[in-house]
Amino acid sequence: MAATASLSTLSPPLYHPSPPPPANPPPSTSPASPTFAFPSYTTFPPFYTLQPNLTTRARQLDLWSALITSYCAHHRLFRLALSAPPADLFAHAPLGRALKPADVRAVLDHMAQPAHGPRVEWIAANKGEPSSTCWVYWKSLAEWADAVYAWVDATGQKGSVLTVYELREGDAVSGAAWRDMDEALLRKVLGVLVKRGKAQVFGVEESSGVKFF
Amino acid sequence: MSSTRRGVGLNAFSNAAISSEQYARHGQQLRSNHAEALANQLSVFQAALHNFSLTHAKDIRSNPNFRAEFARMCNAIGVDPLAGSNVKDIRGAGGGAGGVWAKMLGSSVNDFYFELAVRVVEVCRETRGENGGMIAVSDVQKRVAKGRSGLVGGGMDATEDDLLRAIESLQPLGGMFKVQVLGGCKFIRSVPKELNPDQAKVLEVIQILGHVTVSMLQANLDWERARAITVIDDLVADSLVWIDSQAEEPEFWSPGSMHEGG
Repeated sequence: MAATASLSTLSPPLYHPSPPPPANPPPSTSPASPTFAFPSYTTFPPFYTLQPNLTTRARQLDLWSALITSYCAHHRLFRLALSAPPADLFAHAPLGRALKPADVRAVLDHMAQPAHGPRVEWIAANKGEPSSTCWVYWKSLAEWADAVYAWVDATGQKGSVLTVYELREGDAVSGAAWRDMDEALLRKVLGVLVKRGKAQVFGVEESSGVKFF
Repeated sequence: MSSTRRGVGLNAFSNAAISSEQYARHGQQLRSNHAEALANQLSVFQAALHNFSLTHAKDIRSNPNFRAEFARMCNAIGVDPLAGSNVKDIRGAGGGAGGVWAKMLGSSVNDFYFELAVRVVEVCRETRGENGGMIAVSDVQKRVAKGRSGLVGGGMDATEDDLLRAIESLQPLGGMFKVQVLGGCKFIRSVPKELNPDQAKVLEVIQILGHVTVSMLQANLDWERARAITVIDDLVADSLVWIDSQAEEPEFWSPGSMHEGG
């Protein structure tokens, strides 16, 4: 059959990789020693195009959500900035594919819905402008609150006063998962504990302290 | 300790630091010991439950009350209740001569195929959003062998022949599952919509080449542009292909290769 003969002489079209996007340093991160293992669907070119079919798109958004959550957990990224995202998260340089900024926003909006965690929370920007940074909750606020409180309990510091600085970067927390967390996020976590009646925050900015009950 | 060693002044600070550090370490050790012991107990229990289900498979099958309670307990713990008949030697005796042996040897062999069929249906349902209801038999085989995520003892080791036989056994339920051959590869179709010849042809081309563009279809199948576009639109609407719009011309890919290597 003529059609079959011509099919077998076809070779797949070559990729035309565009130059890799500029590598901006990601906002808040500490380097993790083993490299992140990207799941196999990150080498599937259509993954970087927002699918028009809604059923397919729903599945695609779920895959992106899983990827972003595990990437941020691996690199201990607490915040994502749309203006300077990690170079290898939303783009695949060898393939020459990247998720467009509008689509990145769509993915993050999907993750910000309460039905999906929420795994992401937008940080309010200046009045009138849409947010362009967001917290990534690879652990939820409640989980962070539990972790901090459990550490305070285990180290017998209930009842003593700690500074926010100590909680973030003191020697005693050198192995903790929340070490070097953004201060604003740590304050949100402490806020959860305050609401539960397990902690009290006092003092102003530089010299604020926390007491746990 | 603090009553006999009345450290005053600077000594009091270092004593307090030392003792709080010791308490912290001790507390952490207690916690990790407890956690380890609990994890050990849980895995021993899971294994015992799995063995129980294998040895008492007959009872589980015959008594519905027992079965319901057993399934409830399994789901709570994380053991797969359908693992009961996944025993190779039962199947080995009857696998060779097909249906006749299955009838003669009775329930156990049939049950294996019915349970395999349940797995196949589950896999198709899970992946339908991704691949529009067309999944390669080899893909199903991999997923069934892996078992359900998060449950112990669920993986079923099945050959392609076993899978095809299991799908056949689903026929009395209305024939929702059909095997279709595209480009030399066998697919299981779990959606009622039939592929028209054009759509089947395009899917075949994608199987061979990995992806297509409208121009490729025009050039190689000698189709008018409108015809190619119509077929592609239909395939996208049925979630059978994914679009890559960042190539020179929009490319259409089969989702089968998405999870390869994972």
